[in-house]
Amino acid sequence: MNKLGITEQELASRRAYFQLTDGDLTRLAALRPFAERHNDAIVDAFYQELILKHAESRLFFTDQATLQRAVAAQKRYFLELFSGVADLSYMENRLRVGTTHQRIGVAPKWYLGAYAHYLRLISDRLLAEQGPSAETQEKLRSLQKIIFFDMAIAIETYIAAGLDALARHQAAIRELSTPVIQLYERVLLLPLIGTIDTARAMQVMENVLMRVVERQAKVIILDIAGVPVVDTRVANHLLQTTEAVRLLGASTVLTGISPQVAQTMVQLGVDLSKMHTRASLEEGLELALGLTGRSIRVKEA
Amino acid sequence: MQSGQIPILRIGTTLLASIQIELRDTTAQSFQEDVLKAIEKSRSRGLIIDITGLDMVDTFVARILTDTGRMAKLMGTETVLVGMRPEVAATLVRMGFSMQGVHTALNVDEGLALLAQLQGAQGRA
Amino acid sequence: MAARVLSTQEMKIASEDDVVLVRRAVRALAERRGFDSFASAALTTAVTELGRNIWVHARSGMAIIEELEDGLRPGVRVEFKDLGPGIPDIDWAMAGGNSTASSLGLGLSGTKRLVDDFQLQSEVGRGTSVRITKWKRF
Ligand SMILES: Nc1ncnc2c1ncn2[C@@H]1O[C@H](COP(=O)(O)OP(=O)(O)OP(=O)(O)O)[C@@H](O)[C@H]1O
Ligand SMILES: [Mg+2]
Repeated sequence: MNKLGITEQELASRRAYFQLTDGDLTRLAALRPFAERHNDAIVDAFYQELILKHAESRLFFTDQATLQRAVAAQKRYFLELFSGVADLSYMENRLRVGTTHQRIGVAPKWYLGAYAHYLRLISDRLLAEQGPSAETQEKLRSLQKIIFFDMAIAIETYIAAGLDALARHQAAIRELSTPVIQLYERVLLLPLIGTIDTARAMQVMENVLMRVVERQAKVIILDIAGVPVVDTRVANHLLQTTEAVRLLGASTVLTGISPQVAQTMVQLGVDLSKMHTRASLEEGLELALGLTGRSIRVKEA
Repeated sequence: MQSGQIPILRIGTTLLASIQIELRDTTAQSFQEDVLKAIEKSRSRGLIIDITGLDMVDTFVARILTDTGRMAKLMGTETVLVGMRPEVAATLVRMGFSMQGVHTALNVDEGLALLAQLQGAQGRA
Repeated sequence: MAARVLSTQEMKIASEDDVVLVRRAVRALAERRGFDSFASAALTTAVTELGRNIWVHARSGMAIIEELEDGLRPGVRVEFKDLGPGIPDIDWAMAGGNSTASSLGLGLSGTKRLVDDFQLQSEVGRGTSVRITKWKRF
């Protein structure tokens, strides 16, 4: 199993879709001596005519050693087309290359453009050496099939890696949109700002629960002063969060309840009687400290 | 039905049951019986059920735990459920299951403190 | 993007132990595909409820576990099938709080709230099928 979740079953259906038959693989294996004979020349031409000619692709090769490593890898990569197999380990191999390309910043256009160039170079040589017979056409078709088969894997790797990055960004945003702050030892504050939809309400609940357990907090203050609309749905999410926090063995204090919110809650018939609520964050904090056996005292002058 | 799979320790007048194994329905049922028998035998005043080890609690198990607390209470023992994991709490409330009447605490120490408080209040009343 | 099935696993349910095995298989799959702990717990709880419904209300049946991929993210789909008595009034059974087994009646309604997709089909005298799907979150 790998990142793209490719199984034997999936491999078989992929090969069927690309019409990459055992006959194609046999033909490719038979071409191997030809490929070996031309490989060095092709890859060298490939670098001279394409990669090193364009400023943007040349940028990947800052020093001679990197270039040499890349050329060697390139030679192996092309020869593997003629290995006569297209099994799971072949695919994994291709996947790895795709991941590396993605990581070092080889954009899909460089990869695809380079592959197209390679196909032209090798076709020209094959036609020159073996003539435009039906047999040669057949070989070229096999080569084309496996190259497209390869490219599909590479493109999917790019997409998967992109989504991965997106998921990481979303997790970061999620973290930012529910910033749990420790006010005192075992007293946390989550200031909620902006609209709360079902997905965000779930994130809020999960984040609150994780932080409460992580910090072993006794009280968490949810401040909703920055939430523009508090309707029945939002109220129910808050109730659920409160109940879940109670199950962990901690308490919730809801603050920032404006006159409008109080009115809506009562008119909607939402029962907030089971919750600790306060109008302002200051009052909520006093309550929270009281719940943890502390109080704020004004110092006598 | 196999009983005794979940050890129930006695600390003074408090019983401590720590659930460390994957709970199946029959284990949960025999756990309830074991707990009630232990209460009868030890004349305990408090019971702590530690569920830190449970990565999943479905409504059947949640109900057994809630019921066990209610039954213990009838026998004069207060129950505190401790160590519920975040994902367990989230799942239960999303399913609409409320463990009404069950005392909860973050960990065993807090559970003991809560029991002392509950018993103190009872003693005074 | 259309969902693609990467693998399928069929398991019978005829006892409590079978329910435990199904739930372990589903948890292992969810974890392998990178589900977070909240999503795994939700999914395994849903599976336990539906598996238990089979052996409580229908005595025996099957669970078909499928590993999905929609091109963007992995998913898990589990179908619970039985040839039991069926559910005469689906709305009643789904309402939450209703039970013919003097239980809480939170299994079906609760499960629906834990998953991304919930499909119930039932015919009296022929059996019941419940299919749930959960996707990994972005
Ligand atoms: N597989 C099934 N075959 C037949 N009837 C079913 C099946 N699953 C559910 N039902 C019916 O639907 C009702 C509601 O199911 P649900 O799982 O919500 O509650 P329950 O199983 O009765 O109680 P709980 O799951 O809360 O312990 C059941 O009481 C039963 O009548
Ligand atoms: Mg049920």
